[in-house]
Amino acid sequence: MTISDRVSVYLICVMILVFTASFFLGGKKEFSESENRYLAAFPEFSIKHLTEGKFTEGIEKYVCDQFPERDSFLNIVSEAERLSGRKQIGDIYLCEDKTLIQAYTKPKNIEKDIRQFGKLADALDNAKVYLMLVPTAVSIHSDKLPEGAQTQYSQSETINTIYQSMSGKAECIPIEAALEEKKAEGLLYYNTDHHWTTFGAYIAYCEYCRAAGYEPSALSDYKAETVTTSFQGTLYSKLCDSYFGADEIVSYSHPDWDLKVTYEDSSEVSDTPYAAEYLDKKDKYSYFLNNIHPLITIENRNAPEGAVAVIKDSYANSLVPFLITDYRTVYVFDTRYYKGGPSKFINEHEDIKDVLILYNMNTLDNDAGIGGIY
Amino acid sequence: MVFSGIPFLFFFLPVFLILYFITPDKFKNAVILVFSLVFYAWGEPVYIVLMLLSSFVDYVDGLLLEKFAEHKVLRRISFVTALVINISILCFFKYAGLAVETVNALLHLKLKVPDIALPIGISFYTFQTVSYSIDVYRKEVKAEKNYFSYLTYVSMFPQLIAGPIVRFSNVQERLHERKISERAFVHGFKRFLMGLFRKVLIANQIGELWDIIRSAESRSVAASWLGILCFTLQLYYDFSAYSDMAIGLGEVLGFEFPENFIYPLSATSITDFWRRWHISLSGWFRDYVYIPLGGNRKGVLKHLRNMFAVWFLTGLWHGASWNYVLWGLYHGLLLTLEKYLWGKKLEKAPSFFKHLYTLVIVVVGFGIFTFEDLGELAAYFPGLVGIGNSAAAASDTLWYLGNYLPVFLTALVFAFPLWLKIVKKLEEGNAYRKRLAGICEVLLAAGLFLLTMAALVKDVYNPFLYFRF
Repeated sequence: MTISDRVSVYLICVMILVFTASFFLGGKKEFSESENRYLAAFPEFSIKHLTEGKFTEGIEKYVCDQFPERDSFLNIVSEAERLSGRKQIGDIYLCEDKTLIQAYTKPKNIEKDIRQFGKLADALDNAKVYLMLVPTAVSIHSDKLPEGAQTQYSQSETINTIYQSMSGKAECIPIEAALEEKKAEGLLYYNTDHHWTTFGAYIAYCEYCRAAGYEPSALSDYKAETVTTSFQGTLYSKLCDSYFGADEIVSYSHPDWDLKVTYEDSSEVSDTPYAAEYLDKKDKYSYFLNNIHPLITIENRNAPEGAVAVIKDSYANSLVPFLITDYRTVYVFDTRYYKGGPSKFINEHEDIKDVLILYNMNTLDNDAGIGGIY
Repeated sequence: MVFSGIPFLFFFLPVFLILYFITPDKFKNAVILVFSLVFYAWGEPVYIVLMLLSSFVDYVDGLLLEKFAEHKVLRRISFVTALVINISILCFFKYAGLAVETVNALLHLKLKVPDIALPIGISFYTFQTVSYSIDVYRKEVKAEKNYFSYLTYVSMFPQLIAGPIVRFSNVQERLHERKISERAFVHGFKRFLMGLFRKVLIANQIGELWDIIRSAESRSVAASWLGILCFTLQLYYDFSAYSDMAIGLGEVLGFEFPENFIYPLSATSITDFWRRWHISLSGWFRDYVYIPLGGNRKGVLKHLRNMFAVWFLTGLWHGASWNYVLWGLYHGLLLTLEKYLWGKKLEKAPSFFKHLYTLVIVVVGFGIFTFEDLGELAAYFPGLVGIGNSAAAASDTLWYLGNYLPVFLTALVFAFPLWLKIVKKLEEGNAYRKRLAGICEVLLAAGLFLLTMAALVKDVYNPFLYFRF
């Protein structure tokens, strides 16, 4: 036994005791801002939980989640992984310019998606159905991925498969080329989040307008405003590595808007599609359309007659504001929470002449709302 | 509960150690016993009954064997009863599913496959209690009179769920007369920490890489080899780390557990490999199956039969799946070939060749070991010789290696004993360097511990591989 063995062992014993003591002395947190999730609480005790092993499992989660200096430790892991040369951590590629891009994993539910989209299209009496599947950064910015990155599945192929099956039932809008073309002009996807930027959404909006047969309004008609510069999105939260910075969110408002935005679940009414209170929170993307609501009705008294219904995931939340300018009413469905499927509602509202189905390719496969489409 | 987790390191261990050291010697066993039962019940709150039952059977058997010391028939009845009960419990809880599935497949039946969860550590503790019964029957150890001392031996948490398979003779003396010293504490705790670092910082990382390669849609030849090499490293580091932690904790408590792994990947033949890999298990099969069957002393045919039996069982012990049997027989075959065909020649071969020969066989073997689904095995192996690989030459290998290079190299370096020699050489006769090495050791230990904590807090990939055993 050398002196250094002794010093090392006792030092670590002290470290253990210090952390154990500070666990009991320190406060507990309910929510982690940096990870953007609720932390585990002390599990409920019952004989059933105990015999099933759920109680002890719950304690394990609890002590991990409530461990002193948890955020610092998360940072240490990510820093160490990055410094050791990792270019992919979990499903996230660490790209140049501190950009984080989420990998595209094997699609398993293509048939279900096609079935659900098809059922909705079949069920609609008059409205015209448009389908837009949005390729994500891993496709559009494949040039940014680290050298040698193993991308095994192609979003374009999946989009093509779905579009081919849907032809005749819906007008499928390809937007990959447009995004590719414009990617030099501005940031299309956030660097630390899995969503597209408002600029990316605008490009897709233009493609929609062309498909629907009208001229899109120019971006310069809108008032652009940088509403935050400290947006650390979902991809950031998976790593919790402060090396990766923050994004800014640019918000577009049209001077001619005269809005009545109704959140049907809470009957809240607002005059803007934006919810500024989220800008002070972690989940800043919820600025668009005020996070989650089964049905939102947006009326613009200065827009031409007609209505559009949007059936979508969160990508659409930053595109909907552009549609407001072109339709008197925009109905936005979140089919995770809107019960019974939106087809009945759409058929009952004769002003709805267009229906836009919009999903992004990264979360389409696991989107909980697909089942609620019909 | 597992050693490599926040609950064990920061709650169970400190409370246990403090209580253990302040308790008078007379009651130290009681502290171990109570904590061991909590440790086991933590992950297995129901099946703990099985462990208590299994150990009670052998405890009673031990007493009867001594009581009937002069009565051959009764002795035999008692011994066989205990054996049958233990082996039946193991077979039922571990192999019932496999047995029914196999019968279904062979006879084209559709019998209902029983869905029985495997009790943690059952293969380890059953082998311990059985070894005790056999040793008492052979009069090699004295039966334990105190049930709680016996139960302390079986349930002792450092070695309960992943070995080494400690025999009663290893601990009997210390159970009654503990030798605790600061020296043993420091030495044992250091060993425990080294095991912890090896598990969390090497085994888990390499295991993550193996998972990525395994789940890839296709692989180049090089990546296929890299994959099973990674699994080999993962299993070695994981398993030997668990043994290190067990042996280290045993030492802290004042016990001496047998060594279980001695640089097995640096073996120079398969025969040599099995002197270094999971020593307590191969020793068990040697002493309780192979030698009783006659070993190699009763002619070639019987030797072949004995080899088959031992390696069939060794394979099967590792899990209720035929790939383990395949792996066991593969090793049995190579051991036989080494004995009868090329063992002598191999000894004279250049050292480099011997290492390469052994490593390739071992790595391919673990390739068989890792796939419980034989279909997946059949899909993976052609890739090793260039059948059905993707066109993308070896770019995938560079990507995988690039992502995990530091940990991969570390794993390779510390799998061979060469580094020990280098460190020794560097320190030799140089007081300054020795002191520098000492400072480095302290800094490194503290740094690695922080990193380990961080990995555990983040709850990154941290599998427990032995729940199948």
